[in-house]
Amino acid sequence: MKFQLMAGLASLVMLGASASADEIVFDGFPDFNSHLDVLIPDYEETHPGVSISYRMNQHGDHHKKLTTNLATGSGAGDVVVVDVSFVGSFINAGGFENLSSPEYGADAMGEDFVGYAWSQGKGADGNQYAIPVDIGPGVMYYRRDLAESVGADMEQVITDWDSYIEYGRKLKEKNVYLIADAADVAQAIIYTTVKDGEGYYFDEDGKPLVTSARFVKAFEVAKRIRDEGLDGQIQAWTNEWYEGFKSGTVATQLSGAWLLGHLQNWMAPDTAGLWGASNLPDGIYGSWGGSFLAIPKQAKNKKEAWEFIKFLTNTSHAQLAGMKNIGAFPALTGTYGDAAFEEPIDFLAGQKARLLFAEVANKVPAVAPRKGDLIADDLIIRGALYEVLNDGKAIEAALRDAERLIKRRVK
Amino acid sequence: MTKLVRVLPRVSMQAFLLVSVCITIFPFVWVAMMGTHSRSEIYSSPPPFYFGTRLLENYEKLLEVMPFWTVLGNSLLVSVLGTIVTVLFCSMCAYGFFAYEFRGKNIVFGVMVASMMVPPVLTLIPFFLTVKFLGILDTHFALWFPSAANAMGIFLVRQYMVTSVSRDLLDAAKVDGASDFRIYWSVVLPLIKPVLATLAIITFIALWNNFLMPLIVISSPEKYVLTLALRSLQSVANTPWGAVMLGTFMSMVPLLIAFLFFSKQMMAGLTAGAVKG
Amino acid sequence: MSITGSQIDGVAVATAPAARKRRSSTKFWKKKLMPWLFISPFIFLFLTFTLFPLLFSVYLSFQEWNPVAGLSSMQFVGVANYELALTDPWLWQSLYNTVWLAVVSGVPQHLLAIPVAYLLVTGLRGGLRHFYTAFMFIPYITSTVAVSLIFFSIYSANSGILNQMLLGLSDLPVFSWFFSWVPEAMPIRWLTSSDLLKPSIAMVVIWKYTGFNIVVYSAGFLTVSRDLYDAARVDGCNRWQQFWHVALPMIRPFIFFAVTLTIIGNLQLFEEPFVLTQGQSGGVAQAGLTASYYLYLVGWQWLEMGSAAAISWILFIFIAIATSVHFYFNGRKGLGEDR
Repeated sequence: MKFQLMAGLASLVMLGASASADEIVFDGFPDFNSHLDVLIPDYEETHPGVSISYRMNQHGDHHKKLTTNLATGSGAGDVVVVDVSFVGSFINAGGFENLSSPEYGADAMGEDFVGYAWSQGKGADGNQYAIPVDIGPGVMYYRRDLAESVGADMEQVITDWDSYIEYGRKLKEKNVYLIADAADVAQAIIYTTVKDGEGYYFDEDGKPLVTSARFVKAFEVAKRIRDEGLDGQIQAWTNEWYEGFKSGTVATQLSGAWLLGHLQNWMAPDTAGLWGASNLPDGIYGSWGGSFLAIPKQAKNKKEAWEFIKFLTNTSHAQLAGMKNIGAFPALTGTYGDAAFEEPIDFLAGQKARLLFAEVANKVPAVAPRKGDLIADDLIIRGALYEVLNDGKAIEAALRDAERLIKRRVK
Repeated sequence: MTKLVRVLPRVSMQAFLLVSVCITIFPFVWVAMMGTHSRSEIYSSPPPFYFGTRLLENYEKLLEVMPFWTVLGNSLLVSVLGTIVTVLFCSMCAYGFFAYEFRGKNIVFGVMVASMMVPPVLTLIPFFLTVKFLGILDTHFALWFPSAANAMGIFLVRQYMVTSVSRDLLDAAKVDGASDFRIYWSVVLPLIKPVLATLAIITFIALWNNFLMPLIVISSPEKYVLTLALRSLQSVANTPWGAVMLGTFMSMVPLLIAFLFFSKQMMAGLTAGAVKG
Repeated sequence: MSITGSQIDGVAVATAPAARKRRSSTKFWKKKLMPWLFISPFIFLFLTFTLFPLLFSVYLSFQEWNPVAGLSSMQFVGVANYELALTDPWLWQSLYNTVWLAVVSGVPQHLLAIPVAYLLVTGLRGGLRHFYTAFMFIPYITSTVAVSLIFFSIYSANSGILNQMLLGLSDLPVFSWFFSWVPEAMPIRWLTSSDLLKPSIAMVVIWKYTGFNIVVYSAGFLTVSRDLYDAARVDGCNRWQQFWHVALPMIRPFIFFAVTLTIIGNLQLFEEPFVLTQGQSGGVAQAGLTASYYLYLVGWQWLEMGSAAAISWILFIFIAIATSVHFYFNGRKGLGEDR
């Protein structure tokens, strides 16, 4: 029995040891596969001898696997996708190739990309470790029919948070929620009103900023919305959330531009023409989501991997294809002049929304990620904020407690 | 009246079982129903609790997004091989703990029980290192072999031996001159068939539904197992949920078949009657 | 306890003629090695696949390590990880949640599974029994994705089946008195209020694992022979007494096994709370944050593996204490050492 097992073991080992030389393996999460299915044939045609395969895993699983691979120095693909929420902690750890080095010369491309996204891919040492492949400029989607029914002018509604809340009060009389979850508002304010030189949660010396005016204001606005009963207390990505969009019981949603694709394709396809997109309220500019491409140091085929990354990120062809195929908004600014941006979008009642997205993308301020951002994010957005909104904890106390927890963890 | 007294417990028992079955079978039926709807239909509120019309469409989509039958074959291979070896190993070890007194027995048993208590989330990275060191990365072998003599299985079989194998019988067999292995194989194993079937059920399901190990061990798509393949499709983005639900449902069917098969073996022990009484 | 082989052998060696001594001595060693031969699969697999990860995580708990930076980036920090963990309010909160959930979701599993298994084994025959057992086992084989989809629909505040059912009950004439509070309390937020999150998770855990225990207990009741029931019936025992005085004592080793498994499994509870809180740091006010969940968060989200390792060993000690107490009080009978 044992002998057979060992023999089986040996033969399996030999099977596993074959890999060809100019094969590029791309590790990512869906919907990159739909994107690659279209682009890989194009690329292989113009680059004879190169073959590209991909491995997809669910978003969280992909990052868990990537963490394991980076930790153990083996198993990662040649090109890996990193989500914006992880990029800060991944690129500073030394597991990726320095793309600013002469072999790659990424710095020369910097000008071509949306500023804030480009700087998110920079490590603390000023070198580029990850290249933005898609971004999520933040906008507010709103139901036109609901706005009309209360006679609201959206330009006026988004003037500031007071006018936004005022709009909510009018909607409430018609039993319509202003927004699915008030927490989104707090998150938007926290992420978008960062002062120059500050990080999201920490100042230059690494001291937490969470008791500063920015956070207090964010919490206050969200709490006002919650206390007046203007939000639906609906969790994102649940059936109730989708139902709110379908049935018109929720009037606005702050989100990345990519939500459009979801609304249109499956969340609420029957509501075409009833939607509009505008800037975020109170004149803020921010982003939701975005992905980066990087080359792990352990990659076998770095040179070809870099060529493929350049193709995916730095050619209008690939960037525009991403927008068309999977609704991934381009990070390459050169594409914004393309005719596709002038196209009216039927789902948004003919609005030329991509121009708005591009305008937002160029105005989002650059904020460098700092060590501890992930921890602070959990403690503030998913800890303190929900204590305030759902359990009625006092804002100052919640923020002070969170600050103490952050200081313990992040040194 | 007396008839009522006799019938009532029976009726209420049936009613109770029926209600519990309705509660437990609910997800199975629902998953089956969701496999016949499109994504927008699944994600309406309340979700549809009836069969839809998109079964064929979902099936075609499923085959388009993953090699379903290959992947199912991989899962079968891992689960069947793993179950056979696990049942063999666990019953051997359990017999070792049950039939002998030896120095260090309590320590080994203690270590074994303690090894169940280590939270598995954390041992992922060192496990990966081990598998890599042994050169069995990206093999199915690495999915079922490491857990083939697991503490839970050994413990379960041992407990069954305690209740159903009498020591007099072992001693009698020894007096008859049977070798140790013969006693284990021809005397004890036939007596503990029900627990072997129980262990087979649990092992089969654990291997079938295992997800974390395949995630870090398997990298070639043609070696994916069902859990991994189905999960790798999921994202907030473009997931064909109807197809995924159909795949989920279809992946539960072999489990149910395996269950019915083994539970038949298990219940067979009832009519055979236990030795110890 | 029966006389073991080696003891018999020892006597034989002492009285045997010198010529046979050598053969007996190899036999003696064979006898001595025999039990180790039988448990060798466990020893081999434990040494190959389990021991190193264990030692690694002990070592890790004294290091500071961001896994993304690779193995070489570990830094020795002494007991700092343990100090940090032991004074961490989230850890204590999570341990409290873990114990709460272990008890509330653990006890009903057995109180349900034992009688149901008994009914299935003694009260039903043939095919019907198979199908009932199979159906009751379904929750255990349902994949996590399906579980989360289903329970989000059941618990959903505005349109969930559970709330609709409660509302329906409050309209019925008989039940309305009991459920008159329902319309006022609507919408009940099962998964987004800190008071209800834990009970909601516990329901799912009970629903999922009771079937597993039913199967284990069914195997147990199968060891009770018909003769015993017959004898009890002759002595004038009714069905209840047969269950209580005949069947239950017989399956004590199974109860012991299943309870051990529940203690260990429930104190490591991770998947259900994780899924039902959408991985959002344990839900509102961390009411659903279990210890395993927390160490996952620290290790894999916050990328502080050393700190997570320390938490995992603290949790290990917790589980070890609970299991030891259980072994201390129930072990003699549970392990069958009185037989």
